[in-house]
Amino acid sequence: MSLLEIDGVVAGYGRGPDILRGVDLTVEEGEVQCIIGPNGAGKSTLLKTIAGLLRPRKGRVVFQGEVLNGLRPDQIIRRGIAFLPQERSLFPDMTVLENLRMGGYALEDKSLMSERIEEAFAQFPILKERYKQKARTLSGGQQQMLVMGRALVLRPHLVMLDEPSLGLAPQIVAQLFEIVRGFKDQGMTVLMVEQNARQGLNCADRGCVLDLGQRVFDGPADGILDDPRIQELYLGTQKKAETS
Amino acid sequence: MATADVSVTDNRDTTTSSGYKSRKYILGVIVAALALVPVLQWQTTNNLNFWLNLLIIIFLWITMSTSWNIIGGYAGYISLGHNVFAAIGGYLAAMLLLRLDIPVFVTAPFAGLVAMVVGFVIGLITLRVRGPAFIISTIALVLVLRTIIDNWDFLGGVRGLTLPLIGLDVQLVKIPFYYAMLLVALLSIYFSYWIRHSKFGLGLRAISQDEIKAETAGIPTKMYKVLAYAASAFFIGVAGALWSQYVTFVDPGTYLIILFGARPVLMTLLGGKGTVAGPVVGAALVILATEFSESQFGGTELNVIGVGVVMIIVLLFFPDGLVGSLRRAGRLPALLDWD
Amino acid sequence: MIADLPQIIVTGLALGGLYALMASGLTLIFGVMRIVNLAHPAFIFISAYITWKLFTDLSIDPLVALAVTMPVMFVFGMIVYKLFFAREADNPRYIEITVLTTFALALIIEGVLGFIFKGTVRSTNPPYSQQAFFIGDIFLSRAQLYAGLIGIGLIAFLWVILQYTRIGYAIRATTQNRSAAQVVGVNVERTSMIAFGLGVAMAGAAGSLFSFVFTFFPGGHWEWLAILLALIVLGGMGSLPGAVIGAYLLTIASVFVNDQIGFKWGPMTFFLALFIVLMVRPQGLFGSKIEAT
Ligand SMILES: Nc1ncnc2c1ncn2[C@@H]1O[C@H](COP(=O)(O)OP(=O)(O)O)[C@@H](O)[C@H]1O
Ligand SMILES: [Mg+2]
Repeated sequence: MSLLEIDGVVAGYGRGPDILRGVDLTVEEGEVQCIIGPNGAGKSTLLKTIAGLLRPRKGRVVFQGEVLNGLRPDQIIRRGIAFLPQERSLFPDMTVLENLRMGGYALEDKSLMSERIEEAFAQFPILKERYKQKARTLSGGQQQMLVMGRALVLRPHLVMLDEPSLGLAPQIVAQLFEIVRGFKDQGMTVLMVEQNARQGLNCADRGCVLDLGQRVFDGPADGILDDPRIQELYLGTQKKAETS
Repeated sequence: MATADVSVTDNRDTTTSSGYKSRKYILGVIVAALALVPVLQWQTTNNLNFWLNLLIIIFLWITMSTSWNIIGGYAGYISLGHNVFAAIGGYLAAMLLLRLDIPVFVTAPFAGLVAMVVGFVIGLITLRVRGPAFIISTIALVLVLRTIIDNWDFLGGVRGLTLPLIGLDVQLVKIPFYYAMLLVALLSIYFSYWIRHSKFGLGLRAISQDEIKAETAGIPTKMYKVLAYAASAFFIGVAGALWSQYVTFVDPGTYLIILFGARPVLMTLLGGKGTVAGPVVGAALVILATEFSESQFGGTELNVIGVGVVMIIVLLFFPDGLVGSLRRAGRLPALLDWD
Repeated sequence: MIADLPQIIVTGLALGGLYALMASGLTLIFGVMRIVNLAHPAFIFISAYITWKLFTDLSIDPLVALAVTMPVMFVFGMIVYKLFFAREADNPRYIEITVLTTFALALIIEGVLGFIFKGTVRSTNPPYSQQAFFIGDIFLSRAQLYAGLIGIGLIAFLWVILQYTRIGYAIRATTQNRSAAQVVGVNVERTSMIAFGLGVAMAGAAGSLFSFVFTFFPGGHWEWLAILLALIVLGGMGSLPGAVIGAYLLTIASVFVNDQIGFKWGPMTFFLALFIVLMVRPQGLFGSKIEAT
């Protein structure tokens, strides 16, 4: 049994049209899976649906054998799925420390939380330096570190990241993907959406391509990178953009 | 989010059906009948005055809510303080009558113009903010004006101004007001209809849906909003002027209370915000219900409660109002489809 | 020229605490839910009338009545939230619908209070409401002093809840970034309900104090609405410290106007401040942004 199984999920916003039009997807325990696809394909919508921010109109989301359809986001996170949205979801007027505490909001055990916060500080010394500072005063890179640190505090079973590299300087992007691999080493399973397809896939074990609200391809990450059709359709422009 | 409530395109596809053909005639007959009501006064003793009074009140509020709808419905800027324009019209006409002896029937259009100019200036200032800030500013405006008038002896202060009756006997005294108010109501409806079908109206509705998109689509949103605000003040000023002599007084406690400002909002919501017919239907229903409950149960408390309860029910269950909900269900009679 | 200045400041400081308490719930509710609660002063009036009833029928001191009105209004607030606001969360016309709903609630409350208590102007008169201290020739009413001190005490209590408790974290998180709060596992619906209840409980406390400092009649809440809105708009809507600072500044200013220009113009301080701040700096003097649409 896979850790997460998505069966024919149809979803959309409000009374609007279907954005996801029957997505099937599985995530295996312990892997890093990277979803790529053009803008507007529905990648963010898929993650939001899994996180419970949107309700599936059809189909099922099954996590560890339990159907998640209809659960609230706070119930889903307590089952071990954390979601780091595309827009860095920080609390701008809380301090760095308070933001980390919010990361552990769903933890029952408060001493465990303090321990984990110390570990997050150990991994991100810059956060420790600035623990009293308001989150709004951090740079973009530091804010992303804070978001990642928050995931470390919760240490969920499955962590979903939506375009974590967006808007970051290249050297920080490299560091970021290392952190993502680190999640895996710490026992977390990772489902990640990346525009930065090559680097994302390089970091992943498995990849999948989403287009027009449907999964059009999946397989081992290096297989996708080498597949000529996918290169042409989904990686081509990326390659040019990267080499230029 | 869904943006289905006010569609910018004209979605009427039944224009050719017989309902729409006969609509013109039915409406014509209704207007003609209304114009003939006072004639019955010759036949009866003065007990028809009750009905004339009721109709005058309905015409007044049709004017209020139809005008409010231009900025509140079409453009989506909720004002809880449009009674300031009625007060401006009322006080201006009252002063001109008391000091210079000019009858309100002459000064009313002028009062409307002044209300409009004031509306334009206020609009320039207040329409730079949106959402909660705008709504709050409209309440602030009422209270600022109220405090000024309360303390300004020249305008009669808290006690207000008492105006003379017009010199007609009891059988006739209501008739000039009846025709004047009917005319103002019809003109305001026509004005609203005209805006609704103009490019200007299209722009206003674009603003109410998404102001930033409207701006990028090349609509001069700022000018449009201010013009809509000024336009919505005109007939309210006229009606306020007529009303002052009709009831023979103006005072801050009548014109500048929050309930006065709330009424057109309630009527328009009930009838259907952003539609031409909605405010007309809403005004008529609210006034009939109010007069009925006052005559049956007396007491303004029940009235206040009633306004609140109806408003909440409409907000929670029929946010599109009667006309809007009926249209959505495809059951709006052609007679009321003026959009 | 202004010989009365010390007197003005003392009176302003004493009253300011009560004004701040009245505004605290309003700013909390706006912060968390983006609801401009036009019924807030009406909520305060409900509590004032309960206090009045307890005082006249059972001789319960208004300061003791506070122990009743706060929990009662807390529960009342949560019920109101559940009935009228919980289901609107995803409405694209949220701001408009919620503002108008609170407006309608205010009307209903006004009508019901008028129905039960009639239009008579009321207030409670416990012994301390007629007493005063003199510091030199500065006069300080005991009623105002008690109300001001308890007001500030309760705000401090609210602040501690917000700063240090789990629900406080949840409320602040929801205020600052609703979707982020959802993503870290805050049940934003429940949090909103509790925050609304807390805000109305503050109105409840304010009402008990209000009952012996001011007079009230069913329709009187509208004037207070503009006054309270002025306080929170000046300080930045949604900010609790902002509301406190706004309250002290404007209360002192209005006492000053009362004293120097005339009693009739005191309220104008608030109305004009409200209008001008909205137009010039809608985010308030110190506040973060106020969300449009
Ligand atoms: N909050 C929303 N409301 C309505 N439509 C949305 C919303 N967010 C995204 N969409 C629409 O859903 C589609 C897919 O968006 P998204 O899932 O963000 O794509 P991706 O993340 O793959 O770029 C787009 O057409 C977008 O316009
Ligand atoms: Mg996306």
